[in-house]
Formats: sequence, C-alpha cells, structure tokens
Amino acid sequence: MRNKIADGTMRCMGQLEGRRSQLLRGVLDLCLLAVMGDGPAYGYEMTKRLRARGLSIVGEGSIYPVLGRLERDQLVETKRVAGNGGPPRKYYNLSVEGQRALENGVNEWKSARDAVDGALGLGEVEVRP
Amino acid sequence: MSEFVDECRREWHRLGVADPIANEMAADLTADLEEAEAEGGSPEDVLGNSAFDPRRFAAAWATSRGVVGTPTTCCLPHWRKHVVVATIACVGALALLAGLVLVSGRSSRSVGIARQFFAGQFPNRSLRLGMPRMVFPSPSNLPFIRVQIASANVFHPLAWILLIVGMVGIVCFACAVLCWSRWFRSPRLSRRHHESSNAR
Repeated sequence: MRNKIADGTMRCMGQLEGRRSQLLRGVLDLCLLAVMGDGPAYGYEMTKRLRARGLSIVGEGSIYPVLGRLERDQLVETKRVAGNGGPPRKYYNLSVEGQRALENGVNEWKSARDAVDGALGLGEVEVRP
Repeated sequence: MSEFVDECRREWHRLGVADPIANEMAADLTADLEEAEAEGGSPEDVLGNSAFDPRRFAAAWATSRGVVGTPTTCCLPHWRKHVVVATIACVGALALLAGLVLVSGRSSRSVGIARQFFAGQFPNRSLRLGMPRMVFPSPSNLPFIRVQIASANVFHPLAWILLIVGMVGIVCFACAVLCWSRWFRSPRLSRRHHESSNAR
C-alpha cells in the first residue's frame, strides 16, 4: 500500500515536472530575449541570469538550440569577444527585431496567462478579499 | 566533458555541418562547460537533460541554427528505416525458406508440383534434382508431373538458384538483425530508457 502511494506520488511529480518543462519550452526564447535586455551575454552567462531570476530548471533541452534559432531568425546579434585569459566567447545581444519580438511575446504571454488564470478560476481568487 | 564535446563533433560531422561552424560551437560549449565546472557545477547545469544525450543535443543545436548540410550517411526517417529493415528481413526469411525447401526437397523422395494441365504442357519432362527417382501418387486419376530426384551428383539449375537465394537470405537476415540492434542502441532509444529508469 505504501509502495503504491509512493509510486503515485512519484508519477504525479513526474507529470508536474513534465508540464513545467513543456510550459518553459514555450517561453524559453522570450526569457532569453528578456535576460539579454540586461546586456550582451554568452551562453552560460544567460543560464546564470535565468537562475538568478528564479528559473533554475533549463528543462528538457538546453538554451543552445533556442539561441541557435534566435540567431537564425536574426532576433539576436552575435559577436565574438576575447575573454579574460580564457577562450573568446560568443556574446548574444538583442537586435531591433528581437526587441520587437520580445515586446510582442510579453503581450502574448500576458494574455495567455490571464486566459489560463480565468479558466483555472485564479482570477476570482485575486478579486476576493 | 571532452567526451561530450567529441560526441557532438562526430554528430555535426555526420550531419554535414561545416568545420568552422562546428569548431565554433564546440569552442563555445567547451568554454561554458569549463566555466560551470570551475564554479563547482555540473554539465547538467549548463545543458539540462541534454547532458545525457550528446547526439540529440548536437543535432538539435545544428538544426535550429540551420547549419545542417548533407549528411555523410543515410538519414532516412526513423519509421522508414524500420520499414526498410522489415522488408529486408522478410526477403531474407523468404530466401531462407527457399533454402529450406531445397534441403528438404533433397531429403524427400518426391514432389508433386502441377496437375494434368501442366503435364500436357511439358510432356515427358521431369526435373532432376539429384536423388533417387520416385513418382508422386496421382489422386482422382489426374496424374501429376513427376519430379524425379535423380541420383546424379550434379544439381539442377533450380537447386543452384535456391541455394544462392538461401545464402543471400542468410546475409540479408544477418544485416537486418545487425541494423536493428544498432538502432535499438541509438541515443533516442537510450534516452527513452534513461527517462523511464528515472521515472521508476
């Protein structure tokens, strides 16, 4: 009996983790664009910035494929900068198109979040004293 | 760590990513992994779950960057690979069956293969397959072609064909099994195995 409960709990936790991962995957590009707003950054530096903002789980994949897509779509500009004694690093910075995409994405996120909040009844909870 | 990057390099090479781009990605990855390690972190801190599947990670990165060229090896979609292998396996199995027919045909005494109609087409003709002659009984007065298996040591051409087809079948079957076993060890599946073992 105890084993069954433990299995159910583990399965539930796995599903939650999977949902969180899927949710994150849908907005990871936005998050990366947002942390680039703090200034140009290389790959791992962006991971650290995300972590500093409370996003510690990179999720199913990593940020590199997303950065690659942003670069291909010209939403970021890149330049290689020599490190302090280390190898040259590739720095990513927001392009004009990236800035616009970030603004649009934030608006989309807000509307989607509000809709989901409404569906989950969370909007009513906020209204109540 | 270097093993992970090396594995990525191999995958990029396989996918036809140009060397300068592959070198650039490898250098970025190495620098980030080294920095994480210097800070006491692990590859998972940089790569997430991708740290367990370098080939998938490398392919995803190259694809998303749009730098995948012409793959150096065959890259059929996954389901097509299985169809191809299944077809080869079926052909191989049929060829093996043909080989077995040859073997059993040699040991049996006779084989009836057609009715009177065919006998009329080929009067007084019989196939000699190398074993003692024996006549197949003819039910309801419809005589069959008699396939005589003569005692001569020389095989009939049909026997040679069956023998060659059987050998080809063995080779095809072996190749199919080999391919299947390799694909079952592919990163995609090993990753699934990793995930399922984690879930447990």
